[in-house]
Amino acid sequence: MTADLGYGMTLVALGLALYGGIAAGAGARSGRTALIESAQHAAIGVFVLVTSCFALLTYAFLTFDFSVRYVATNTNLGTPFYYRITAVWGALEGSIILWAWMLTLYTIILIVRHRVGARELYPWALATMLGILAFFLLVMTVAAPPFQRQMPVPADGRGLNPLLEDTGMITHPVALYLGFTGFSVPFAFAMAALITGRIGDTWLVLTRRWTIVAWYFLSLGLLIGGWWSYHVLGWGGYWAWDPVENAAFMPWLTGTAFLHSVMIQERRRMLRLWNISLVILTFGLTLFGTFLTRSGVIASVHAFTQGSIGILFLSFLALVLLTALGLVAWRWEALRSEGELDSIVSRESAFLLNNVFLVAAAFTVFFGTVFPLLSEAVRGVKVSVGAPFFNQVNVPLFLSLVFLMGVGPLIAWRRASLESLKRNFLWPVALGIVAAAAAFALGVRSLLAALTFATTVFVAVTIAVDFTRATRARLRVGESLLPAMGGLLLRHNRRYGGFVVHLGILIIALGVMGSHAWSVQTETTLHRGESAELAGYRFRFDGLTAVEESNHFKVIGAFTVSNGRVLGVLRPAKKFYPQEQAPIAYVDYRLGLREDLYLVLGDFARDGSQATIKLQVNRLVSWIWIGGLVLTLGALLAILPERHRTA
Amino acid sequence: MKRLWRWLIPLAAVPVLALLAYGFRVSPRDIPSPLVGRPAPAFTLATLEGAPLGLETHRGKVVVVNFWASWCYPACYEEAPVLERNWRGYRERGVVVLGVDIQDKREAAQKFVGDFGLTFPVAQDLKGTVSVDYGVYGVPETFFLDRQGRIRVKHVGAVTDDVFRTTVDRLLAEAAPR
Amino acid sequence: MTRRRKLVIGGLVIAGALAYMIYAGVTQSAVYFVTPSELRGAAVPGKAYRLGGMVVPGSLKWEPRSLDLSFTLSDGTATVPVRHKGTPPDLFGEGRGAVLEGNWTADGYFKASLIMAKHSEEYKAPHDTNQAGYRELFKTLRGEGR
Repeated sequence: MTADLGYGMTLVALGLALYGGIAAGAGARSGRTALIESAQHAAIGVFVLVTSCFALLTYAFLTFDFSVRYVATNTNLGTPFYYRITAVWGALEGSIILWAWMLTLYTIILIVRHRVGARELYPWALATMLGILAFFLLVMTVAAPPFQRQMPVPADGRGLNPLLEDTGMITHPVALYLGFTGFSVPFAFAMAALITGRIGDTWLVLTRRWTIVAWYFLSLGLLIGGWWSYHVLGWGGYWAWDPVENAAFMPWLTGTAFLHSVMIQERRRMLRLWNISLVILTFGLTLFGTFLTRSGVIASVHAFTQGSIGILFLSFLALVLLTALGLVAWRWEALRSEGELDSIVSRESAFLLNNVFLVAAAFTVFFGTVFPLLSEAVRGVKVSVGAPFFNQVNVPLFLSLVFLMGVGPLIAWRRASLESLKRNFLWPVALGIVAAAAAFALGVRSLLAALTFATTVFVAVTIAVDFTRATRARLRVGESLLPAMGGLLLRHNRRYGGFVVHLGILIIALGVMGSHAWSVQTETTLHRGESAELAGYRFRFDGLTAVEESNHFKVIGAFTVSNGRVLGVLRPAKKFYPQEQAPIAYVDYRLGLREDLYLVLGDFARDGSQATIKLQVNRLVSWIWIGGLVLTLGALLAILPERHRTA
Repeated sequence: MKRLWRWLIPLAAVPVLALLAYGFRVSPRDIPSPLVGRPAPAFTLATLEGAPLGLETHRGKVVVVNFWASWCYPACYEEAPVLERNWRGYRERGVVVLGVDIQDKREAAQKFVGDFGLTFPVAQDLKGTVSVDYGVYGVPETFFLDRQGRIRVKHVGAVTDDVFRTTVDRLLAEAAPR
Repeated sequence: MTRRRKLVIGGLVIAGALAYMIYAGVTQSAVYFVTPSELRGAAVPGKAYRLGGMVVPGSLKWEPRSLDLSFTLSDGTATVPVRHKGTPPDLFGEGRGAVLEGNWTADGYFKASLIMAKHSEEYKAPHDTNQAGYRELFKTLRGEGR
């Protein structure tokens, strides 16, 4: 019964979405507001139906309704209560319904916000959103139905993938999808702009906050993913350049480029064609991402199952790209810019370079990800490229981007005179060089590390310079210090939000560099009472214990850590789930600002007399999470409604 | 001239899409089986009822060897009715379906066979040698043998009606050995 | 030179530099997928390979103190002896599929630097269902605990 009800609701929602999309488009063409209003009602109907489906599915999970196949595959009688809720989006079908639900939510918000303000663009944007919704609902009905019936009804389900029983794994998909789906709205408005020919600034101004919100969630999702990878998976890293990770990173790169290039269009009316293309590319990459993770076309440790879903996604991607690019070709003349680049030494130029490097990085990641396909198609040989490729090509690009972070905000528009260059950059450059020299003096020999230090100090000083100058200007007018600083942040929140985000990136950059350059690891087997040493720390193996939980049992190893004095006991473990093929490792760690101690339990003797462990001392990894926090705070600051528009 | 050049822009997306479509033809999960075209390794096992089950005794028929397990959910559960249905449909035409249960408990295997009402011969590969000989990575995997006892098709994952019938019809159409 | 042309040249320079970096990156870190049969056919010592196959039951030797792992990988036709330093991942075991990254040594074995095990929803690798090993382990350890 549940399965049939859910399936029925999905079908009706699909019909409504299709109707709404067509009605909105027809209403836009003919100018008949009645049609547009009808489309709005259809959208609300879709929202209600999809929310109900989601609620119904959650209810099925909570009541152990194994007559629904998806429930039987992803949970069993031993799954704890809260994980039964989060299991709803734990596998393929659930992830599609989550995506669809977020799309409907964004559509409703779009209706509420833009129904009145964006007369011309709104109907077409609504039509586009409903069209995208219709596609995902189609996938839910045809390729990945969450409401398939399971006959005969099994006595117990298979159970949730144990890796998903984790807080990180709950929030990571939600944040990531909010980011992905968020980019549908700027795309929808871009389509509206192309169709109506209103390719000026209107669509940009409307979507500005949407873009930052989507970017914020995407960044959050990526950071949580890295955190989860580091703290749960137990391989000691936070990023592996795995195809699925790359699929989420590419739209982030192009989305960041878009965030910056809109400022050029607002100021100088340049780069209109570039901006529209960037939005289309970003949205296309979000679709490509889902295609990659669900079609099985590229091998990945994360991949879901294959099936007709891959073909559906590829077809939709083709439809979107060809239509969007066709519209661009149609409006080509009008898209040619009004403004021209005055000088290579200017803010426009810095932003343009920023975009070029970001897109180059996105291209590199794309190329590396599809390389196995390419090599097989061209030479018939299956070849893949590993992490070294991505690191080798991307590191110079990222370092240059960090450098540009310092140049862009301070350099003058149009043409920067030698005078202004000296005034703005003398201190930052000088202190940057000093930083590199200091690092060298302190024993740092890696060129990359020295360059990273120099660049981060350079950028930090530029931010300080800008902030002090602006504060001083306010102080001169009679304000006192704290209100001056606070006022700056709140009144010009876009600019200073951006600075805070840049600060976050600086901290992350240092963390990444530290973890790559200075981390050490070892692997060893210890008898009870024996110790291992690494980087000044001593780890003594004290013994093994076993614990039984509701749906698994756990073997825990106790290791006393000391570095002169006893610091504590680390307990890495292995969890054994009856339905799983192998135990799941459970890392234990001791986090610190300077370094993390990281312990993974490998093999152990049945009688607890010896254990093999992998030890890591990872340097500066915590800075990545701290930097991430700063970054998200900056994004939130930038999203705040503006009090006063800066000139 | 300039007017027409712009229409190349949408076409720029085509090579990328074509490359991705190409990906469907080559599945990265396909572990290539060099056994295809070679004589199928012989085996002699005992069915769940205790009767002997030897591959050689079925030479001259089209043989479908299906590796499965009761803990392989949901794929083995999906294909069990498919195998039974097609076994009943094709048994008079010189086709035999053999089930090889790997790394399973006897009671669980018997329950599975009972639940799905399977009537084709099913044996347990207790020593694991048969699955090694056939290069079995996981379950389910199904091997289609021709009348000369050669492995012709290896199917990974649940067998569908379509796959079964297309493959078996093709092998039946080939000339019988002397 | 017009500004236009300067921009175009600048763009080409950047594109060229990127192309070069990508080319260098690919040639340095390309990894070739092979099966044991293919590797036996034409193994080049020193070349980076990704080898996929099944771990032959009875061939696994693990020495915890020296962290030496050795086993034989097979694809049903050919076998390859493999050596690795360090604990294998949890999904690794006899009679199961594995994908290794490493290179072929002149001494006649495959030196694996990385062992990967994949896990899919529908397609399951064979495992020890009776859980007897785990239950026994649990009992022994329980006796040790507080």
